[in-house]
Amino acid sequence: MADSNASGVASKRAYVVAIAVILLMWQVAAWFLPDFLMPDVPVALQRLWQELQSPAFYEGLGNSMSRLGAGYGAALVSGIILGLVGGTLNAVRSTLKAGIIILQSIPSIAWVPLFLILMGFGNLPIIVVVAIGAFFPTALSVMNATESVEKVHISAARVMGASKLQMLRRVYFPAVTPELITGAQLAFGNAWRALISAEMIVGFSAGLGKSLAYSGEIADMTGVMTNILVIAVLAAVIDQVILERIKHRLLRYQYL
Amino acid sequence: MELRFDGITKTFGELEVIRQFETTIRQGEIVALVGPSGCGKSTLLHMVAGLQHPSSGSLTADGKDVSRPSPERTLVFQEHALYPWMTLIENVALALEFQNRDKTYAREQARKWLGRVKLAGFEDYYPHQVSGGMRQRCALARAFIARPEVLLLDEPFGALDALTRMTLQSVLKDLIEEERPTVVLVTHDVDEALYLADRVLVFSNRPATVLQEIELGHIPKTHDLSAFAHIRRDVLQLLGIDTDSEETITETLQATPQATPSRQGEIA
Repeated sequence: MADSNASGVASKRAYVVAIAVILLMWQVAAWFLPDFLMPDVPVALQRLWQELQSPAFYEGLGNSMSRLGAGYGAALVSGIILGLVGGTLNAVRSTLKAGIIILQSIPSIAWVPLFLILMGFGNLPIIVVVAIGAFFPTALSVMNATESVEKVHISAARVMGASKLQMLRRVYFPAVTPELITGAQLAFGNAWRALISAEMIVGFSAGLGKSLAYSGEIADMTGVMTNILVIAVLAAVIDQVILERIKHRLLRYQYL
Repeated sequence: MELRFDGITKTFGELEVIRQFETTIRQGEIVALVGPSGCGKSTLLHMVAGLQHPSSGSLTADGKDVSRPSPERTLVFQEHALYPWMTLIENVALALEFQNRDKTYAREQARKWLGRVKLAGFEDYYPHQVSGGMRQRCALARAFIARPEVLLLDEPFGALDALTRMTLQSVLKDLIEEERPTVVLVTHDVDEALYLADRVLVFSNRPATVLQEIELGHIPKTHDLSAFAHIRRDVLQLLGIDTDSEETITETLQATPQATPSRQGEIA
């Protein structure tokens, strides 16, 4: 326990240093470039403070988060199901895996033109693009983990008379959870990138990506940098705080 | 439950593992299968568990073909068979939950059985937090909780040190005497076979055939097996181990250059 606390402090310190260096690099760039190209860090922080007071900011944030939630959530559920089923079916596993690897190499944002026409201008194409980005790493990690579940764990469950469903729920699912979480964190990165880019392109109703794109269009560099700041901070908070916490909760047995 | 093996042969591709195995194991009998590693005795055990099937011949339990696993015939594995994501009590209770028994009841029973294998107080530990011996105690509790009619043991204490192994053999012996299941024990430890079994079947190398059948009868035994010294010598000789140097055998069947001396009477 003492060890994990110490490493926790160390990694927190590493984060603080990294953030300071990044902000410093930004500030150095701002000193060399004119203000209309690159704003000072304090100016952007001031704008951020103003934004945090405005209801429009929260409307955009809410829209983005619900798209992320819907797309990422759907991807996790379907990825876990496909991964578990695919991982246990020897006959289709290799084909399924090859298919995923091929489809995964297409940047999910590339689907936007197709989905815009197919689904119309609205939330749905953005959500689907987010889901596609998150689905493949989830399914692939669960499928790989399912394949390598220890034989003795499966045999033991069969000997105890487990049904197929009990086997999935009580043996396969917990056995693949460590890899699932790694896959889900990877999937979150993909989902987040897909969300911001899709919002920038589709530009349907308020959202973080749209707000960023709009600032660019009106050459409001302070707005651009403020939006980038928000996007960076949110991603770090979701990944490092929320997902890490869920990971520690689910894998509690490994940390004891 | 009576187990009848009738002309059992098992091949994996070209490889013949078991040839024409015949025996009948009576209700409540304790039979040990002893032989060199890889000779197919574990395969026989897995057949009784319903995890594997004979290539030819028939295997019946109380006259019914054994074709699939059933909680009536439970198997204790060598190690790593507990689920690392569950505490000891959850691992034991799972055996009843898989039979759709009430969760509270399963937990109560699991607590009772952990007590019987002297693990009271360790209910909420995870397997990696306790010793190998305690994990195997837990595995025994998980096997006995379902009140199996046939208990199959696949080198259950093979990964433990000599002292822990002897303690666990006593725990197992007591449990068997109280619960009276039919027992098939696969072991490479001749002393374990002599201590626990009513009958010992000595197997040859692949393809496995029975070299000798030794009837010990159901007599009370202690870890002092000096009364069985001659039988022990015979068994070791059958397994190709030199017994001239009296009781200090440390040779192993598949001697490797840096083979560490194993316990007396043990064959690799």
